[in-house]
Amino acid sequence: MARGLSMALLVCMVLTLVAGCGGSKGDIIIGHFTPMSGDTAAWGQMEIKGVQLAEAEINAAGGLLGRKVKIITYDDRGDKVEAVNVVKKLISEKAVAIVGEQTSSASMAAGPIVAAAKVPAVATTSTNPRVTVGDDGKLNPYYFRVCFIDPFQGRALAFYSMKKLNKSKAAILYDIGEDYAVGLTEAFKQNFTEMGGKVVAIETFKGGEEDFRAQLTRIKQANPEVIFMPIYYKEAALAMKQARELGITAVFLGGDGFESPTLTEMGGPAAEGCIFASHYSSEDTAPLLRKFIDNFKKKFNEDPDNNSALAYDAVLVIADAIKRAGKDDPQAIRDAIESTKSLQVVTGVITIDKATHNPLDKTVVIDIVKNGKITFLERLDLSQVK
Amino acid sequence: MFLQQLINGLSIGSIYGLASVGYALIYSILGFSNFAHGEMTMVGAFSGFFAMTAGGLPFPIALLVGVFGSALAAVCMERFAYRPLRMRNAPSLYFFIAAMGVSVVLMNAAVVLLSATFRTFPPILPVKTVGIGNLSIGVIDLVVFGVSAIAVTILEFVLAFTKMGKAIRAAAYDSVTASMMGISMDKVCFMVFVMAGTLAGLAGVFRGLKYTVHANMGNIILKAWVCSIIGGIGSVQGALLGALMVGVLETFIAGFGFSNLRDVIAFALLIGMLYFRPSGLLGKTTEEKA
Repeated sequence: MARGLSMALLVCMVLTLVAGCGGSKGDIIIGHFTPMSGDTAAWGQMEIKGVQLAEAEINAAGGLLGRKVKIITYDDRGDKVEAVNVVKKLISEKAVAIVGEQTSSASMAAGPIVAAAKVPAVATTSTNPRVTVGDDGKLNPYYFRVCFIDPFQGRALAFYSMKKLNKSKAAILYDIGEDYAVGLTEAFKQNFTEMGGKVVAIETFKGGEEDFRAQLTRIKQANPEVIFMPIYYKEAALAMKQARELGITAVFLGGDGFESPTLTEMGGPAAEGCIFASHYSSEDTAPLLRKFIDNFKKKFNEDPDNNSALAYDAVLVIADAIKRAGKDDPQAIRDAIESTKSLQVVTGVITIDKATHNPLDKTVVIDIVKNGKITFLERLDLSQVK
Repeated sequence: MFLQQLINGLSIGSIYGLASVGYALIYSILGFSNFAHGEMTMVGAFSGFFAMTAGGLPFPIALLVGVFGSALAAVCMERFAYRPLRMRNAPSLYFFIAAMGVSVVLMNAAVVLLSATFRTFPPILPVKTVGIGNLSIGVIDLVVFGVSAIAVTILEFVLAFTKMGKAIRAAAYDSVTASMMGISMDKVCFMVFVMAGTLAGLAGVFRGLKYTVHANMGNIILKAWVCSIIGGIGSVQGALLGALMVGVLETFIAGFGFSNLRDVIAFALLIGMLYFRPSGLLGKTTEEKA
């Protein structure tokens, strides 16, 4: 009888062990962190839809390594501290790779965390070079991105202002608390001056402010032909409105931070004619992109944007790496992401540069707001803006 | 340039003013700063916004709906959060904590119910400016300034000449004695919250109109609290003066190219004021306040 009991106990123990192992052979967990509230929440919501579409499509096609993929999204409220918290949470929940963040500041805050935990992360729209390569020139071996970087974006915008718009007198208004804005300001200023342009005024503000009339009054004094605003859509829309109220007639120029329906809704007539850089255009005819746009519309009944496209791409890059690695070990996935080559994604073709972890051969799309709609102007690659 | 910045500053200050008066009123009666005041303005802004967009009402009516919404929010706050504390004679620290709680609850409820997106009032007042020489004054700013001035004048009138106003002033002076003289503190508190809510509603709708309506918009109203402290805790005129001062000062700081120091200077002013003149510019600690 005692023997029977101990046998039963043994069986129980073995079963528990097997069940425990079964946990790790369940779904493949991919983490995702993005703001679902706060100033940049509109992008976060779009990212979630991009990620959900990718998850559904991968699972419909049989999943990865014969297992289902599960993407867990957490809200970081666009806050650096909160980003660190939720990334730690994702890692503790056994995410094998992480998608995010959209803003450079949050990605940079998460950088040391993923490096310490040895879990790879793929940023969606973090364009500041320091997300992957620090100031000291040291590469974060665990951070990657699927978007272009600010030195290129800044150069493209400086080029566009100087060569296409023939405007060589610029003022800059930016948020000093945002790494993206600081980096893009530097890139634009340097390239613009190199090309013979003149930056006549630089004004700053701090995130959360909604009134820029004091700064704009100073900009008006300097009388620029273009006002470059490497800031996010909400602040951009308010600044454009207030600038027009103050009688400023200069052309507004922005980075990929402008891209959102909120820009035109909130900016109204003041946003008309503003020009900005973007990652993709919905008017592009590449087949994979068309398919993405159609499926997105079918699933969510609305158009995708930069963030949904790049979040979708980030999942594709991770999925491709898991397939090539042949296992769900974060270290193996990291190595596989690093050797991503000529992968077809919706915003183009991705080859990861081993030295910088940035995708090679990215293009910048230039858009304009026309009749309250974001409209494609042209596509520039690096060789064109040299 | 100087005059233009002065106009910019006054326009910012007038919205701070509408909110800071609310802080002062409630402080004068209940002896605590209602940190949920910013959320009152948020409720007002959303009420006005939905009255216009979903209800299709013209702006003046929507403004009234906004005012009603935030007054209702204020009354509910008083009834469900602060009155129970008052009934138990709780120390004012409890009120502060309750106020912070109400603020967090309302803000997060708004995020959950209404999402965190930014909404914009339909353009009722054209993006027009009145140009005088080199100066431009927004039409919206003129309306805001005018309505604020009228509202505050009415408030002053009510406080100075009506029976209710007298009761409020008596309660602000000494609530225990006032209630012994037959003044109902329940009624006084109700009225004070209605007044604070009304002004908060105006502040909210105007802020929404000038900038944007969103769930976290209450945060920036904390600046109005700073204004009310600088002007004199619990003093209505002081709160107004403080608001206009801070608005103009901020604009000039930014106008001289130090916009990153804007908040540093506003809060340094607050600390300096508390250190050298704790009762603020017009605050009189022992005399009548409201």
